[in-house]
Amino acid sequence: MLFHSQAFVLLFMPVAVGIFYALAQRESLRNWWLIAASLVFYGWWDVRFVPLLVSQILVTWLLVELSITLSTRWPLVLAIVANLSVLGLFKYLDFGATILAQVTGLEFAKASLVLPIGISFYTFELVSYLADRLRSDAPRYRLRDFALFVVLFPHLIAGPIMRHNEIIPQFACDPLRTGVYERIGRGLILFFIGFVEKFFIADRLAGIVDPVFKRATTEVPTLADSLTGALGFSLQILFDFVAYSNMAMGIGLTLGLMLPLNFNTPYRALNLRDFWRRWHITLSRWLRDYVYIPLGGSREGVATYIWATLVTMGLCGLWHGAGWTFVLWGVAHGIGLLVCRFWQSYGVPLPSLVSWAVTMAFVVLLFVLFRAADIAAAERMLVGLAGEGGLGTWSWSAVVPIAIAGSLAMIKVPSAELAMWIRPTWPVAIGFVAVAVLCILEVGEGQPLSFIYFQF
Amino acid sequence: MLGWRRFVWVGVGGSAAILVLLALFILAMNPYGNLPRILFAEHAITDINQRFQFPALIRSGAYDSAVIGASDSRLLRPAELERVFGGRFVNLAINAGQAYEQYRLADLFMREVAHPRTLLIGLDHVWCDDDADTVRTTFRGFPDWMYDDNSWNDFGYMLNASAIEISGRRLGVALGINEARFPAGYEVFTPPETAYDPVKVRHKLWKDEEPHAIVAAVPAYVPTSTERSRWRFPALAWLDEITRRFEGRVVLAFMPVHVASQPLPGSVEAARLDECKARIVAVAKGKSAPVIDFDIASEITTDDANYWDPLHYRVGIAERIVADIERALATRQDDPAGDWRYLDGPRAVAVSSD
Repeated sequence: MLFHSQAFVLLFMPVAVGIFYALAQRESLRNWWLIAASLVFYGWWDVRFVPLLVSQILVTWLLVELSITLSTRWPLVLAIVANLSVLGLFKYLDFGATILAQVTGLEFAKASLVLPIGISFYTFELVSYLADRLRSDAPRYRLRDFALFVVLFPHLIAGPIMRHNEIIPQFACDPLRTGVYERIGRGLILFFIGFVEKFFIADRLAGIVDPVFKRATTEVPTLADSLTGALGFSLQILFDFVAYSNMAMGIGLTLGLMLPLNFNTPYRALNLRDFWRRWHITLSRWLRDYVYIPLGGSREGVATYIWATLVTMGLCGLWHGAGWTFVLWGVAHGIGLLVCRFWQSYGVPLPSLVSWAVTMAFVVLLFVLFRAADIAAAERMLVGLAGEGGLGTWSWSAVVPIAIAGSLAMIKVPSAELAMWIRPTWPVAIGFVAVAVLCILEVGEGQPLSFIYFQF
Repeated sequence: MLGWRRFVWVGVGGSAAILVLLALFILAMNPYGNLPRILFAEHAITDINQRFQFPALIRSGAYDSAVIGASDSRLLRPAELERVFGGRFVNLAINAGQAYEQYRLADLFMREVAHPRTLLIGLDHVWCDDDADTVRTTFRGFPDWMYDDNSWNDFGYMLNASAIEISGRRLGVALGINEARFPAGYEVFTPPETAYDPVKVRHKLWKDEEPHAIVAAVPAYVPTSTERSRWRFPALAWLDEITRRFEGRVVLAFMPVHVASQPLPGSVEAARLDECKARIVAVAKGKSAPVIDFDIASEITTDDANYWDPLHYRVGIAERIVADIERALATRQDDPAGDWRYLDGPRAVAVSSD
């Protein structure tokens, strides 16, 4: 069930939120209700995935309990290995087999397992808790709280990747505490801001971008098409993911829960390090805390720093997808981060505009790699950007949406914060009704496009 | 200042109230004729997307015979067909109809009509495309939900701007402001004959080239039997099902595409089309259904004046096609004047091995 579908807005959300508030004064019941509603939400995609999700939660929690009971750490290590193995099995088995086949020359049959939706996100949350337990940096949670931390439906499918200690304490807060209507009001506003970003911006850009990248699987696109595709996708993926994050935060807020900010105007970044502080913040934070720093980070010499950066960003790429395009995308960003760091340490400071332009050019070019079907298609796009496919003609129907989306992406304040600024006036209420009705009617026209990050 | 409490009630309550009113309006107007009839006893078509409008025509009970096809079959007039075949005809041909969509219409017709009499299938390239099983629909959308046996679930898909707009037009019909369209599914969709511009048409037919003789490729492409067996025609499984399941008479006719848009004789494409036609003949043979091929170089397809564009012939040609079908069924022979070929199994095999 997509957030931007009538089934969710008109059926699931009113029922889930309505019953949650009906049970608001009974913490145990309301949180069990949220777990049940979240499993229904998850099972709506494919009910076959529910047992796997429930098993991962139960096994992880039981191993943590065992570790506490026996005062030993091996169950935690076992739980981390088990969770990562499940992720590896579903997401990377065929990719690994392909690599093995290339190296050994042997043939391996493809498993072609269906990737359980959201597995990359919730596995990282489970692992982060286990890693914190290993560092004696996480409390013991009862099953209900632990399960709700993982399955809470606003963030279950595509994040934000939360840490246990920023959400579980909120489960005990009375949803009816002072400010309940403000939280619901702002939450609904934020939800529909995300709806507009997804439906009217990201999905419109998809219609421009998809044909270009499809063409690149067989031929070199023209310069106009390549540039349209590269810029269009860079904006599409931003608005697609920002929209999801805003909708997730909005739903969380209607339930009285604060979810972390995931994007902070990343295309205003003046350098690549700044970009990664603003782009998919909760993933960057996870990689920093559980990969980069454990690998040595920047405090153990230059060699360790280079190694830690490249491994972390390589894993970042691999997390997005089991394919060389993603790995190369991640490693290239790692190299970019190293160059950025050394330039900042030893180089001549660049004027802000030049620094921004270089950063964005780098980001946009690498998004070609991210979006392309394979390395060959990415090469054709890049060759097209170099003008090998001819200049082509510019289409206003592509340029105008990209220009509008680009302008919106440059607004200083993240759209998530807009909802926090708004005051409850009559014009705002009327505007809200108009936007909500328009969104619901528009999305009722047909099957809406899924979020890009659902495939990861 | 409204205050957050009132904002939530106004925002949620206002949105819900408007949506409920719109839903009631749609329910009352019944824009696709698929809901319980509250205000209007008769369904009036007011929209051009036939995929949404034709299920109600099929379910009306007024027809026992049908044409399915794409826009190149839309000009076959039901009254003419009734003269030839008898029965009560509805033309269910749809704009840019994919094979799958046509199959779904035929399937619905077979499920809903108690005593079906005649089914005329207007064939074109969509039945031969190798991606027909993956490219099943177009950007126009296809309402699967309207083709099942459960009308209760339909309303869940109808709360949208299109349904509201068509409901508005339906109200207009009731008030006498608008006129209903597609009586018996038929409508002359080509421009008025007075607007016919031969120069413009020639540009469309010949793709801005000068009209020229069609010269066959030499040497003609001769596929091996292995290659022929590997060609995929996934839509023919649907055609097979339709011809087997239809209880009445089935007639298949390849519609006449202008000669400049037919595969070049002797080319790979022509060989592939021949193979497709041969397989269609094999499919039709199980039902003893005649296959009439207008998709050849003929007086119809070589005369630019017969067309508006490569696929769409003029109204007079539609009448000629129906008359030709009548003669073809009577003679069971190729047309001596060359308008059609009456395909049978052995002859079609011979074509494919040329």
